[in-house]
Amino acid sequence: MAGEFGEITRLASSLLETLPCQYAEIRISKGLSTAISLSSDEIEAMTSGESAGGSVRVLSGGAWGFVSFNDMDAMERCAGRACELARAVTAREKSSIRSAPAATGSFTTPAVRDHREVPLEEKLLLIRGYNDILRSSPRVQSTRAIYRDLTSRHAFLNSEGTNLEYRKSFAGVSLASIARDGAVIQPFHESVAGYGGFEIVQGREALAESVVRTAVDLLGAAAPEGGRYRLMADQKLAGVFIHEAFGHLSEADFVHENPRMREVMVLGREFGPPELQVIDSGALPELAGYIPFDDEGTPPGETRLISRGVLSGRLHSRETAAAMDEAVTGNARAISVFTQPIVRMTNTYIDNGPWSREELFAEMEDGIYAIDVIGGQTNLEMFTFTCGYGYEIKKGKIGRMFKDIVLSGNVFSTLKNIAGIGNDRRMFGGLGGCGKGGQSPLPVSFGGPHILINDVLVGGPQ
Amino acid sequence: MIDDALIRWLQGTTRWFDIIEVSGESDPVSFKNNRVHSLQFKQNLGYGVRVNIQGTTGFSHTNDPSGLKLAAERAVAMAAFGEREDFELPPDGEVAGDPYDPAIGEYDVRREMEKGEEVIAALRREFPAVTLDLGMSRTVSTVRLVNSRGFDRSYRSSQYSAGISLTHVFPDGSKVDIWEGFSSQRPEPLEEPAARLREKLAHSLRTASCSHGRIPVLFTPRSFARLIGILLSGLNGKSVYKGISPFTEKLGARLFSPSLTIEDDPTLPGSPYSFPFDDEGVPAARKYLVREGTIATFITDLKYASLLKTDPTGNASRGYSTLPAPSYSSVLIREGTTPMAGMLRGMKKGILVDQLIGLGQSNTLTGDFSGMLDLAFLVENGEIAGRIKDSMITDNIFSLLAGEFALSRERLQSGSMLAPWALFPSVNYSC
Repeated sequence: MAGEFGEITRLASSLLETLPCQYAEIRISKGLSTAISLSSDEIEAMTSGESAGGSVRVLSGGAWGFVSFNDMDAMERCAGRACELARAVTAREKSSIRSAPAATGSFTTPAVRDHREVPLEEKLLLIRGYNDILRSSPRVQSTRAIYRDLTSRHAFLNSEGTNLEYRKSFAGVSLASIARDGAVIQPFHESVAGYGGFEIVQGREALAESVVRTAVDLLGAAAPEGGRYRLMADQKLAGVFIHEAFGHLSEADFVHENPRMREVMVLGREFGPPELQVIDSGALPELAGYIPFDDEGTPPGETRLISRGVLSGRLHSRETAAAMDEAVTGNARAISVFTQPIVRMTNTYIDNGPWSREELFAEMEDGIYAIDVIGGQTNLEMFTFTCGYGYEIKKGKIGRMFKDIVLSGNVFSTLKNIAGIGNDRRMFGGLGGCGKGGQSPLPVSFGGPHILINDVLVGGPQ
Repeated sequence: MIDDALIRWLQGTTRWFDIIEVSGESDPVSFKNNRVHSLQFKQNLGYGVRVNIQGTTGFSHTNDPSGLKLAAERAVAMAAFGEREDFELPPDGEVAGDPYDPAIGEYDVRREMEKGEEVIAALRREFPAVTLDLGMSRTVSTVRLVNSRGFDRSYRSSQYSAGISLTHVFPDGSKVDIWEGFSSQRPEPLEEPAARLREKLAHSLRTASCSHGRIPVLFTPRSFARLIGILLSGLNGKSVYKGISPFTEKLGARLFSPSLTIEDDPTLPGSPYSFPFDDEGVPAARKYLVREGTIATFITDLKYASLLKTDPTGNASRGYSTLPAPSYSSVLIREGTTPMAGMLRGMKKGILVDQLIGLGQSNTLTGDFSGMLDLAFLVENGEIAGRIKDSMITDNIFSLLAGEFALSRERLQSGSMLAPWALFPSVNYSC
């Protein structure tokens, strides 16, 4: 890459003053990453790499032009091209953006131990230690232990005078054991990640121990019978549920130009019981969905999506905020400088309710206690999740272990069926992330307290 | 840049090495909410350097052409910690032609915008409340591979992709999302996918319901291809070697009905998924994966071929920033003999399943699957009676494929798979 980072941002800044368009922004990043992947007794991959590049996004005549590049010398040419592209569209309905004050600032992840100063041997030793724990049962067929770190520098500049810089440091591990007993093959996996130095990934032995224990325990578990159940969701399932089933619905790009969706998602509509509060906040620095500013340069805020059971807010980019005449929320995010920002979540959670965990289980009587999540998907009306594992609950007491618990339902009726919200919220976020519009995985976190839901469909033979 | 000085340095430092250079340009057109939203241009270039020193492998990557020597030095440093790998890289040899169609040059952003407008106008004339997002793009890319045995070849590929997604919100707030798309080597019209969308939407206007239990299910090529994807993950040499594939030790065993034949074909003419050599330089070759119900091949790259003590199948796949891993090219599921229309007409009561959500999230290593019916229809007396939703199918694809089923004579492209319709007499359905 020609030139130093500072020189490139200065060039970007002067370029933005001369571009013949309504609005323009330039994003630049440069980063160095390390990845180590172990499987059983072998090192599957050990890589380090650097990535640099940028993009120019231009709004002209109500249409967007976007050009991405990794040859920094091409920035000026690309900016011109972005203007040409935007002007090539004769927009029938025009895009506009909500005005924003110019912002300047510089942000740095606080790190106790910079990844770049940790010798490779030490990173390998750490992940090997976790991998040894993951392999510690004779019933484990295979493992996968991944270490990843990233140190990068980002700049955001726009034609309104905003000039922001972020020196980011991110690390995480993903730990999986695959247990096997004859034809039964049972994987289980956990991941943890966050902003900081090497300390983020140290001291995770207990997590590795719980992964191998759960995978082996699950070999002996059976799937529940299909049917409708009272279901207790643990904090992680509650978090994934609110992210997948409700959070995506509150992303304004699904709503802003669809009159019928605007009616469905009208502010003030009742979505759940009065004790339900749902919040998205990109301003929580310890969590994976933290951003000092979004990919349009907007500072993150706390957006109350549901207050007392009623729809009270939604997530916006500058474009959707202008279209709906609502405030910007700082939720325009892109997976990298090579893609356009779209409306995304950050850290999304159900806030604590009034119930203690004991009270919730007593209230539940019979049903299924569903814990953790392997995967989930939604079409913004129906959702389906596969839980990591769970237990049968009889008269409020934990019984036999279940695996392959697949829940599904309608988002709207399920939110209304929430019968109790606990007071023990926890937050989660790992090396994986959220996918939308071909941009995956975007770091996010999610969480909630234990929640009790009535009448949940669990798949399986009846 | 890959220059002689770098190659000489690597020759002198390593037992073997390879460098992959991937570059490309694409210019997507994106429609959101029934209108052109943005035009884009993307340029990218990247290098991956893999070295083997005294039997252990190291890897590094960069997207900065002037940083290639630094990346090579990082790879050499990494090799000190790498795993022992005793395979050899392929020598230079004859390879097939480029998967490139010069007609990709006819791609014109203005014409694509017109095509999009035409599709939107036609669908909205009939269904004024629908919202459509469209994306069309042209990508031209070049892969160059250089290795220590004198292999230095590159090929150019062309890809045109189009996707149309439709959302229809009903007055009661419920909604349907339908998606159609394809990739080819050259620009193609959008009429066919648009017509399929239209038909599916028309069938979705009425709703229907069905009580739970075991019921006949007709999978469209798209949903059947996704189920076959579960099977394919077990034929990947990597899972086989790790012992987490249910097919480990089952090569040559007849596990499925003789009507099931699946091939992997990277030489398929006109396909954007074809290549002359894989990402390690092994020539592309067509192969049976499942032949008349029998497990025929585990796909491999050099590493897993060596570990499984077989010949590499030419299925190594990677971008510049990752190490190779076995992956499929075009997957062809052999068609059956029944016309699709006859299959539908012959159903007294059953479900036609097109789009599933959540399919990949179960413990699919064992063939178990569970999918929420995102787009599915109740069929009664051979006619589509209406859309079914808020319900799911849960079963095991391996046992379904071992039993009785029928495949249609017609096939459709779904992603990189060419698949028929598949009718299973009894699938577990819950609601």
